This record gives sequence, structure tokens and C-alpha cells, in this order.
Amino acid sequence: MPGNIASLHWLDCEFMAIDLELTSLNPKDSAITSVGWAEGKAGKMALNQCEHHVVMTFAPLNQSPVIHGLTQAHLKAGKPLLYCLQTLLEKGRDKIWVFHNANLDWAVLHRQFQQHGLRIPQVIIFDTLQFAVYQLAKQHQVLPSQSASLTVCRQRLGLPLATAHDALEDAFATLQLVFAQLYEFDPKAQLRLGELLHTGAIRYVSA
Amino acid sequence: MQQVPSQILTFLNSAAPFEHLEANALNQLAVSSELLYVTAENWSELLGKRQPGQDLFLIQSGQFSVRDSESQSRAISEGDYFGYHNLLDDTEHALTLQVDSPGLILAIKREVIKRLLSAYPTCEQFFLNLKEDTLHHQAVNDTNSLWLTKPLSEALGQKLVCAEASIDIQQAAQVMSASGVSSLMITTADALMGIVTDRDIRNRVVAKGLPFTTPVTQIMTARPIHITAQRTMFDALCMMTEHNIHHLPVVEAGSMAPIGLVSATDIIRHQRGNILFLIDELAKAENLYELTRLAWQIPHYFTKHALRMGDFDIVGKVLSQATDIMTRRLITFFQQQSGPAPIDFCWLVYGSQAREDQTLGSDQDNGLLLAKKPTQQQAEYFAQMGEYVCQGLGKCGIKLCDGNVMASNPKLRVHLQGAIEEAHRWLQAPTPQAILEFNIYLDVRAVAGNKSLLDQLHQARLGVFKQPLFLAALARHANEARVPLSVFQKFTYEKGRKYSDSIDIKARAVATINNLARIYALAAGLTMPGTVARLDALAKGSALSAKDAQNLRDIWLLLNRLRWRHQLRNHVSDNLIRVRDLSSIEKHQLKAAFQSIKRAQQAVVVKFSGGIG
Repeated sequence: MPGNIASLHWLDCEFMAIDLELTSLNPKDSAITSVGWAEGKAGKMALNQCEHHVVMTFAPLNQSPVIHGLTQAHLKAGKPLLYCLQTLLEKGRDKIWVFHNANLDWAVLHRQFQQHGLRIPQVIIFDTLQFAVYQLAKQHQVLPSQSASLTVCRQRLGLPLATAHDALEDAFATLQLVFAQLYEFDPKAQLRLGELLHTGAIRYVSA
Repeated sequence: MQQVPSQILTFLNSAAPFEHLEANALNQLAVSSELLYVTAENWSELLGKRQPGQDLFLIQSGQFSVRDSESQSRAISEGDYFGYHNLLDDTEHALTLQVDSPGLILAIKREVIKRLLSAYPTCEQFFLNLKEDTLHHQAVNDTNSLWLTKPLSEALGQKLVCAEASIDIQQAAQVMSASGVSSLMITTADALMGIVTDRDIRNRVVAKGLPFTTPVTQIMTARPIHITAQRTMFDALCMMTEHNIHHLPVVEAGSMAPIGLVSATDIIRHQRGNILFLIDELAKAENLYELTRLAWQIPHYFTKHALRMGDFDIVGKVLSQATDIMTRRLITFFQQQSGPAPIDFCWLVYGSQAREDQTLGSDQDNGLLLAKKPTQQQAEYFAQMGEYVCQGLGKCGIKLCDGNVMASNPKLRVHLQGAIEEAHRWLQAPTPQAILEFNIYLDVRAVAGNKSLLDQLHQARLGVFKQPLFLAALARHANEARVPLSVFQKFTYEKGRKYSDSIDIKARAVATINNLARIYALAAGLTMPGTVARLDALAKGSALSAKDAQNLRDIWLLLNRLRWRHQLRNHVSDNLIRVRDLSSIEKHQLKAAFQSIKRAQQAVVVKFSGGIG
């Protein structure tokens, strides 16, 4: 992580939580069926900056519709993936990208940026799942199953149950989670990004 | 595409008073709002620096102690609002907040909420009530179902249309047509002299080919059957059935001036099942078999016909009246078998039956008051009467009393002098246990026999019950029950119940109001047993202010409704209402009610117990 970025206070950074709905859990062949994001800063989340895009795709849906309620008809009516990726890049500029399980979502995004000939941006990624794992590892040698799922992580921090399950709902739920995690870890909000590196939850990605 | 997360819309939609907003209005409310994750460290940054009065705040999660007006700080949590004082009064009280547990708060912009409130008066009323701390009034104000016992003058719905006797048929028809009524009252010097209906015009004019210029007096029904305004809707119903008429003029007694009209439609609108007919049948029952058969129909009538919240205001009374009638019938049956009573007696009922707030789960509480100390033979007669009537009531579905407060128990068969002496003993030893035991006897009503015996007992005891020491003990006892609210005004639930969100609304709230009303009533020397009746009487001048009395009365009615609805909808006879069954606004109303009860408990301790709870 470059020094100028490592010295930023998280309190001064803008966060954008992103969630993708995918046709499979394998980043190599998974297609994006929809993408949602929500923005916030220092615990403040504006409700007019949340977006949800269904992606036009003809890829087989596999298990996705069961979970997300999307049907082939929705997907045909969606937006081209290129448009969604470009919008995401534009809105996400200079923000910390937050995922709950960045390994999968970022890998898929990375591949799609490449395939669509988009320049892969330099981004800071914060993974709420990794952060939870870091916290849990202090208490458990072996993590209890499901203990780092989005729902359980939220529950642990007293956030309300978010029942709906689509890209925007999960992104918004993740955004609340990242603030709850950071304020719990650093109540006075004094830490810089570089001081969070040891948690394994934050990383800097460049082309 | 920009979109508000549905978790926010769902949350708003579950929060009173927004639960009935259409999707579009809800979305407008949400889209301009911010969700804040508020902690002890960041609240001053996120909330404290805002201009006061610019936002309405709604807590989605977490627990906070908030001071946002001149009143004291209050502990609030999920579903609670703050900041509405500034918003409604255009004041700028600074906000102070203590974060007891961090969480999410929705900040709704002033101009958005203001616009919404002016478009939806019910939403505005909600916040005004919230501010005035009178949320539970809203629940009771909409009552309109006490129609059975209401005088007609209060229950009239139909528009009154009158015309002078000098008009002709066409003019009469024009008046009816212009007013959209199907009957017209014809008056002379403001006194009712006849009535013309649609049917008269059809049968007596058109069918007979009468000219329209015929005076209306020729075709009207002269000196129609009428009813005076002091009678009840039930009386009207009886008259209409007896005479087979569909329109019944209501007149002022004496002057005969028409003041309204009861139509068959009014009756249908008002009548929710004919429980009164059932009661009438009960009174005519010739034997125990008939009586039990009819009595067992009562719960079915309630389940089927008591559908609206307002209906629940009278079911307790109806049930108590039915139990009274059963008791009197049983006493008659007993006397038919065993001969008349050897000495004067009065059949007393206690507790819920006395207060006329019986529910389907109430057990019987009764006793016998004898004019004088009975001989052994006389005592045997009353022992048999007690046994027969209590067992008979049991067969009619009125549970036998677990605590054995029944006339079948020799301790509950007392003579007048003995009862007076007993009251003096209560005064001497008002221990908590003793209070618990005799509290039930303080709500008492005479149901059969020589009722003047109870009047004599009341007279003799009045002074005893006004003793400060006695009232202080009752006040301390009334303060012992805790309303089921946590420090953060969250509901607390009964442990170990089938449903995890159960609240024993009787033990936790209704009984407390009964206790409070009783104390003020005793202090004021009032002898009526019913809680609502006591509070109504207390409002007319007592240690309790009219406002507080009315407040407690409204709360009592609200709680009673929730209890009845629970019993009838869930087909149970317990008092464990489930919070999941309440609408969002009812949850707010119930919380407000509990808070008021708590304050009333504190007040009674200050008034009667020198502040020592």
C-alpha cells in the first residue's frame, strides 16, 4: 500500500459496499447477473446513493434464481455488463470498495474488467468477512461454521436482521457492517488505513 | 438504477404511523433520508452538530438515552422517535444523546416529513399525540360500539328531515329527493304528527293514481309509533320488531319534537350479533339443563360477533350481566327445591364479576351476606344454596375459584355484623399478604337477595376504608407490580411461556389500574365496584384530577380491548397477549399506556403513602 494511502484516516474515506449476484461460486466461469452498491462515510449512509443494476446476460443461471429470485426474463431485460462495469468504475473512483468475501467478488470483477478491455483501477479493498475472521480468530482456534456469514456478523454487532437477499440489500447490509466493525475496533476513529493492514481485511490493488 | 434498499422501506412500513402509506409516499420519505450508525463516540459528530429541528429521527437498532425537549431525558430504542418536539413546535432545543448500545438511526429531513404530515393528517395526529404523551387516547376515541346501552340521543346516525303538514305530496317527494332520505317526518308547530315513507308514495299515491297536489296529511301515517330519546337502541329494536316497522321516529319526551329517526339500516349497522337475545333466553331458562345449554353458547357469540375493537368495551359487561342472570336463575331453582330462605340474605359477587370486567377466563368469586348470625339449621340452608349455585355456575362454564372465594366456602358466608368486624381487622393488620387476600373483597356488588344488606355494610365500612394507614398500605401494594417495560422502554416478556413475546396484561397492567382506581374510590367514599365507573365518578372531583382519571380510563379500555381480542382471536382464556399480534401503532399505544401506569403508581404512593413505596 503506497504511503500516501496508508496514511489516510478511515474516518475521512468514502466507502462503497458492493455486492454481485453470480451464476456460480467459481470465479473462473461465473457470470454477473446483478450488481448493487451503497455509499457512506464515517457512519453516514445516504439513501439516495444506492444503486441496483440487473445485468443483461444469457449465461445459464445455475442456482442463482433460487437465491436471488431473478429469472431469465429479468436478465434479458437488464443492462449490458459493460455499462454496469463502467458505472461502477466511475462511481467507485477514490472510494474504498467493501465486499463481504472479496476473494470471490473481486476475482469475478477483475476478470470482467479484463474481458471488457477496461483498465483495472487502483482500488483499496476492504473485506468485512476477512475482518470478522480476524476478530473471531482471537477467540476461536477453529471458526464455528457460518460464524463469518454476513447475517451472523451483523447479528454479532447488534445490527437488525436484513431479510431480503439481492445485490443491493446485501451491499447495503455490508455497508452498515463495515461501520459497525470499524467503530467497534477503533471507537475513537483515529486509525489510518496502514494501521488496519495487519487485520488482513484491507488491501490495495493496482493493475 | 438508483433505488432505496427494501430493508429500509420494510422498516419504515412497519413503523407507526407510516404503516399505511402508499409505496410512493414511503419511497419519497426514504430516499431523502440518511441512515446513521451512531456510537458513543460519533453521535456528536453525526447528530449533535445538526441544526436542531431539521430532522426527525427514528431508531432502527440500538439503545439511547435522549433529551430533545424541555422534559427529562428518556431511554428509547428500536421503533422510537426523537426530535419531533422541535419539528412540531418549531423550537430549537439542543439534542443530547447518551449511547447505551450503538445502532442505526434514520434521519428524515424536516421539509420531507413536514410535507408528509400535512398530506396525511393521521400521521400528524400520531406525532402530536406522541408529543402530548396521549397516544393511548387515540385508541379509545374511535369507539362507537357502546350502542347497546347508549341512549338513542347519542346513537342517532340518520339525518333528520321534517316538513310542515301544509305541503302537498309532490312537495314532500321533492324534499325527500333533495335530502336523499326514504322517510319524511311531518310536523305541526314542531311536534311530530305523521310520517311519510317511499313505500307510502308507491302504495298510497302512485298505485292509487292520486294527484300529486293532494295534501300530504292524507297519505301520511298519522300519530306514528315513536320512541323518546332517553331510551336505548335496544328498546328501538324491540319496538320495530314488535310493530314490524322500518322507520321509527325519535322524539323529545313532552314536546314531541322530532329529533331523529332510527331505520332498519341503523339497526343492522349497529347490531353485531344478538347476544342480548341470548341473555333474555337465559333469564327465561326453566331448569339447570336449559341454563347450561344457553350459557355455553356465550363464548361462541362473542367469537362470532365481537369483531371490532370497540365491541370489546361491552363484552365484559355483557358477560358479567349474563353471569348475574345465571346466578339469579340458580338461586330461584334452589329455592324451588328447598323453599324460601329462612332469613334475609344477599348474594355478593367480587372481583371481575363485581367490576363487570369478566373475561372468558375469569373464575367465579362470590359469597353470601346474611342479615344476622344464622342458627345451625339456617346455616345449613345457606351452605346448600352456596354449593348448589357455585356448582351450577361451574356447569354453565364459569370456572370454580381456585382460591375458594365462593359461597360454597363457609368463610365466604358471613353475617352483616361479622363482615363489619372483619373490615376492622383488615385495618389493624394491613400486611402485604393480607392486602392481597382482601383486595378482592373491596370490589363487591349485590346480585340477588336483599341488596340493602350490602348498602348497610358499605355504610358501616366507609370510615374504615378511608383510614390513611389502610390507604397507605393499599398504595404500597399497588406500586409493587411492575409494568413490562425495560429501562429502554422495550417490552419485557413473561418467562417460560409458550410464546416468547407474551405479556400478562392482566397481572402487569389491568390489575394495577383496578388497584389504583380502588384506592382513589375508597378515599373518596365511592362504593361502586367497576373500574371505569369509579374513574368516571372520580373525574367529577376527587384526589385524582379529571385528566388523570380520564387518562387511566382510556388506558384501561385499551388494555381491555387488547385482552379480549387476544382471547377471542386466539381462542384462549388466558391474559397473555402476544406482542406479535399488535399492529405497530398498538405497540406504541401500549408502551405509552404502560408508561402512564407507572407514573400513576408513583403518584398514588406520593399521595397516600407519603412517598414511601
